[in-house]
Amino acid sequence: MNGSEIFGAWVAVFLTLGIFSYLYKDNPFYKIAEHVFVGVSAGYWMSMFFWTQIQPNLFGRLWPVPEGAISGFFMRTWYGIYNFFGVLLPSVFPDGGIDKGHGTHPHFIYIIPFILGVMMLLSVVSKWSWFARLGIAYTVGMAAGLRAYAFLNSNVLVQLKGSAVSFVGLDWFSLTDASIINNVIILIGTITGLLYFYFSKEHKGTFGKVTRVGIYFLMISFGASFGFAVMGRISLLIGRFTDLITYGSSTYNYASLWVLLLMIGLLAVWTFKGDKKVAS
Amino acid sequence: MEKFLDFIVRAGSLDRRYIFVVIALVVMLPLFFPLNLPIRPTVSSQTIYDTVEKLESGDKALVSFEYGPSTKPEIHPMAIALLRHLFEKDVKVYITCLWPDGQFMAMEAIQQVAVNQYQKVYGEDYVLLGFRPGNEAVIKGLVSNFRKVYTVDAQGNFLDDIPMMNGINKVADFDYLFSASAGYPGTVEWVQYAADPTGVTMGTGTTSIQVNEVMPYVQAGQIKGILGGMPGAAEYEKLIGQPGIGTSGMDAQSVAHIVIVGFIIFGNISFFVERRRSKKY
Repeated sequence: MNGSEIFGAWVAVFLTLGIFSYLYKDNPFYKIAEHVFVGVSAGYWMSMFFWTQIQPNLFGRLWPVPEGAISGFFMRTWYGIYNFFGVLLPSVFPDGGIDKGHGTHPHFIYIIPFILGVMMLLSVVSKWSWFARLGIAYTVGMAAGLRAYAFLNSNVLVQLKGSAVSFVGLDWFSLTDASIINNVIILIGTITGLLYFYFSKEHKGTFGKVTRVGIYFLMISFGASFGFAVMGRISLLIGRFTDLITYGSSTYNYASLWVLLLMIGLLAVWTFKGDKKVAS
Repeated sequence: MEKFLDFIVRAGSLDRRYIFVVIALVVMLPLFFPLNLPIRPTVSSQTIYDTVEKLESGDKALVSFEYGPSTKPEIHPMAIALLRHLFEKDVKVYITCLWPDGQFMAMEAIQQVAVNQYQKVYGEDYVLLGFRPGNEAVIKGLVSNFRKVYTVDAQGNFLDDIPMMNGINKVADFDYLFSASAGYPGTVEWVQYAADPTGVTMGTGTTSIQVNEVMPYVQAGQIKGILGGMPGAAEYEKLIGQPGIGTSGMDAQSVAHIVIVGFIIFGNISFFVERRRSKKY
C-alpha cells in the first residue's frame, strides 16, 4: 500500500464522516465536505467534457492533421488560426493538428455547433446574452425532435401493446408468470389509473368509485417506490460502511477510527461552547 | 395500559437522531457478524441469467456503464457479476459509458474481472470505448454509425486498429446489450433509442429506486430481465455461483429493512394513539 492510497483513504473517511456528521447537526465538517464535493464535481465534469468531446470531436474535426503540406490561401489562414491558438494552448492545439481519427480534411460543418456553443457562453455578457437564445433554441428543438419519435414508440405504442393482455390459455393464478388473475389486475389498474387523470368529468358517483380504485393502484405504486427508495439508501449506507470498515484496518493506519474520534471530540467541544454562549 | 400508551406516544416523538443510531447499528453489526440469510433469485434476475447463458463463445455484448461512486454499492456488484458471466462464456465485451465517472467504474471492474480473474486480452476479448457526452444523442449515434461517436477508445487507440472492432459498425451488430444504469441517461434511453429500434436483446441493472420506472419496459418485453439494486446483484452472484460484495451486504440489508418496517408500524401506532387521545380531550 503506497502513501497516496493511504492518504486517499484518509480523505475519503474524512469526507464520508463529514457528510454523516450532518445527521447530528450542521457543522464545519459537513460544510467542508459539501463545498469540496460541489467544487470537485464541477471541475471534474468540465474537464471530462472538454477532453472527451470538445477537444477530440470538435477541434479534432475542425483542425485534423492535414495530409502533406498545407496549400492554398484559405487553408493556410485556417491553420494559421490553429497555430495562433497552439501558441497560447499547446496541450489543446498540438503542433500540426489534432489526430483523433477524423480524417485529414477539416469538417467545416462543425463550425455551426462551434458558433452555437460560443453563443451559449455569451449568456454571461449581459449586452450579448440574447445570442444564447439561438443556441438554446437549437438545443431545445433538436432534443424535442429527437425524443418525440422514441417516446411515442417506446412509451406509448409498445406499452399499449404490452397492456393488451390475454385471458385465454393461461393458469388462473401464478405468483411469477402471466395468469388470468394477474392480467385482470393489470387491466383494472391500467383503466382505473388512466381514468383518475381524466378531469373533464367530476369524480362523483360510479365514476368517482372507479377513479378511487385508480387511486388505490397509484398508492400501491407509490408504496413500492418508497420501499425501493429505502432499499437503495440502505444499500448506499452499506457501501459507505464497508469502505469505512476497510479503511479502519491497520493497513490504512486506522483512518476511520482516528477521524471518527477527532470529529466526535471537536463536535462535543463546539456544542459545549455553543451551549455556554446561549446560556450567557 | 395507559402507561403503555403513554410510552408509545412519547416514543413516537423520539429525537430522530436515536433512529439514525439504531439504523447505523443494525446495518453495521451484520457486516461484522454475517447471518448468511438465504438468497433466492427472482424471475427478472433469472431471465438475465438465462439470456446471457444462451450467448455463445465469440458473441458480442455491449455493456454500458452509467453510474458513479454515489451509486457504486448498488450497481458495481451487478456489473462485476455480469462481466464474470460474460467472460466465463467467452463473450466479447464492448464497454461504453454515458456518464463520465462510469469510465472509472468500468476500469475498476475490468481490472478486477477481465485482467486479474480471467486474464483476458485487451482489444481481442474486451474493449473500453470510454465516455462520450451527449446523452441520448450518443446512443442514437451508435445506432446509426459507431465510428461517428467513437474514433478512438478510452486509451486513445484508433478503433480501426483494434481487432475486435472489425465488423462492428452499429448497435445492431451486437448480440446482447446491457445497461448498468443509475439514472439519466441510462436504461430508459437505451430502450428508446437502441433496443426498440434495432431489436437487439437488452437486459439492465438499475438502482432500487429506478426499478418502478423501468419495470413497465420489462413487463412489455422491451427489456429481458432486470437486476434491481444490491439484492439483484446478490441474486446474480448466486446464479453464477460466485458470491461477491452484493451477497455480503444482503444480511445488513435484510435486517435494516425489518427494523425500518418496525419503525413504520410503531410510528403509525403512535400517531393513531395520539390522534385518538386528542379527539377524546
